Amino acid sequence: MDKSPKVDQMETKQFTLFDILLTLLTVIFFAFIILVFLMLFTAVSANQLLRQLSSPLVLASIRISLQTSLIVVCLTFFFGFPVAYLLSLKTFKGREFLDSLIDLPIVLPPLVSGLALLILFGGDGMIGKILGHWDIRIIFSQKGIICAQLFVSAPFFIKTVKESIAAIPKEIIAASATLGASSFYTFRRLILPLSKNGILAGLAMTWTRAMGEFGATSMVAGCIPGQTETMTIGIYMNAMSGNLEAAVAVGIILLGFSFISLLILKIRFKRSYGYHY
Amino acid sequence: MGIIIKNICKSFAKQAVLENLSLTVGKGEFHVILGPSGEGKSTLLGIMAGLIQPDYGDVYIRHQRVNKFAPEKRKIGFVFQNHALFPHLTVYENIAYGLRARGINGKKIIKIVAHYLKLVKLQELHNRYPFQLSGGQKQRTAIARALAFEPDALLMDEPLSHLDVLERERIRDELKRIQAATQVTICYVTHDHSEAAALADRISILHRGRIEQVEQPEDIFYHPKTAFVAEFVGADNVFNAELVRANGDTTTFNLNSPELTGQLEIEARTYPVFAGKTEQKLCLHPEKIVVSHTSNGKNSFLVRIIDVVPQGAVFKVTGEISGLKLRAVVPKAAFKINSHTEKSWFCFSPDALHPLCGRSCRAAISQRACNNPKFLL
Ligand SMILES: Nc1ncnc2c1ncn2[C@@H]1O[C@H](COP(=O)(O)OP(=O)(O)OP(=O)(O)O)[C@@H](O)[C@H]1O
Ligand SMILES: [Mg+2]
Repeated sequence: MDKSPKVDQMETKQFTLFDILLTLLTVIFFAFIILVFLMLFTAVSANQLLRQLSSPLVLASIRISLQTSLIVVCLTFFFGFPVAYLLSLKTFKGREFLDSLIDLPIVLPPLVSGLALLILFGGDGMIGKILGHWDIRIIFSQKGIICAQLFVSAPFFIKTVKESIAAIPKEIIAASATLGASSFYTFRRLILPLSKNGILAGLAMTWTRAMGEFGATSMVAGCIPGQTETMTIGIYMNAMSGNLEAAVAVGIILLGFSFISLLILKIRFKRSYGYHY
Repeated sequence: MGIIIKNICKSFAKQAVLENLSLTVGKGEFHVILGPSGEGKSTLLGIMAGLIQPDYGDVYIRHQRVNKFAPEKRKIGFVFQNHALFPHLTVYENIAYGLRARGINGKKIIKIVAHYLKLVKLQELHNRYPFQLSGGQKQRTAIARALAFEPDALLMDEPLSHLDVLERERIRDELKRIQAATQVTICYVTHDHSEAAALADRISILHRGRIEQVEQPEDIFYHPKTAFVAEFVGADNVFNAELVRANGDTTTFNLNSPELTGQLEIEARTYPVFAGKTEQKLCLHPEKIVVSHTSNGKNSFLVRIIDVVPQGAVFKVTGEISGLKLRAVVPKAAFKINSHTEKSWFCFSPDALHPLCGRSCRAAISQRACNNPKFLL
């Protein structure tokens, strides 16, 4: 009755050619995505899946992936948090430069990163030579996997945490100082709790990226089954050698892990105190 | 002694904000810094608290030079314009923050926080988070938080600007009460002159990076030293005037404000500062103009009423004569003009006009001279 004319117009609006085009393209895109998923789940039967999961090589690759990626997550936290803190709260010469350096591992093709790591840690490499004296081998070992994953995935954590620290209003930090709090006290009671959503999200992203890392890892660690064969490398090796069953089985497990991290990203901490950190 | 600021200069990106500014805030004083938006009030408070580094100049707190002291070493409470409460801590923990940061023991903290919760009347809400509070409650929490560690001084940056009129008046009263109870030195920033008048022991007017006048509210209002101060505190009529002749007790001027199209002659009392100068700036407080149906001889002007704005118990009436606008404030009961185009007499006594030179060069405030009942409608 007393609807405004605008609303009436909206209700009786005709679909234009443009609307139809938009809808069509959207449908095609989602059909593509869903089809890809379906293929993965219909390629093998449940029986085949279970059989693959009891294969020692598949189990070993899962173990190696989890082991290395979790170590990477811990290392990322301990090195990445100070970096994020400095980059978001301190002003110093060269900050902009360091800031853009963080993006480098993200845009660098993983194979190129792997190549560089291979040269650095190889028998004749700068660090490889030094470590060689102590009989420590990075290349073709799980240490190599960790190095590759750390290089490629830590920037995701740093960027996320940096943003969430930078989102804390400057007045709050200033208020803490005027109340007599030292920088460490402010860090412990403000920065850490207020950026915990960012930390959690960053860790989840880093973990997913580490689990899914293939290019750099395969360059540095090769693919020794049972020793340096991660899940992604396993998928590639099995698919190439025609063992589709094993490849798909590992693929589905990997997908499961990805969902877990997606869940962490979505839920985060429920309580937000009316702010979105 | 409270806080002393000496010759402070501060620029942002080559743009000077504070220029050689000096200011003394006495111990236990309620000092209000009043100034328009964007003129460096927050910057000044930030420099006092150590949150902003001045380019030049010194800050003394209790006779100690604190330029090199970090904010956490200055013992100055700060109430931010937007509260800046810690969103993840309860009201109680917000207030206790400064005490915990100083490592005061738990039992003492409970006692102190309880005391300040009571002072700001938030006992019932101590378990709430900031997002569960109203603007006024947040404000009171911020005040309690800044007071709880017993700072040497409390700096407040437009703390009431986001509140409605009632809430603002209530917290204003509470603030006065709290200051009386704690005897804390307060430096309070605002751009609202009525708020300043209600709170201050002394007011500093900040303009163009300098303090233009420091005085008690009454003196700022009735003895402004510059045209800016006069207009900013609501002494709306400031005229450029040219001395025509001195008649002993009184002096006759021709108004020569740029917007004036005709000739207007006014008469003022003679002040010592008139001697030897032909140009003067004269100030006329709007409440000293009487609006009447009849002329009162001297200093009476038949104006066209162009604007009538009701405000509480008074009307703010703007009249226009030969391009010059005159602003009057009249009690509602004494004003009965319906048509905006109606003509009316604005009249004021020679006592009402005064030069812009502060109290020192003036006699005591004159009484309203146009208060003869026959002029009131
Ligand atoms: N960090 C900064 N960088 C550059 N310019 C700044 C900075 N802080 C303040 N300014 C400028 O300095 C001037 C004074 O700012 P300030 O915040 O002190 O004003 P204010 O008097 O508190 O204004 P308001 O009443 O609006 O709060 C403004 O012109 C502002 O643009
Ligand atoms: Mg300000």
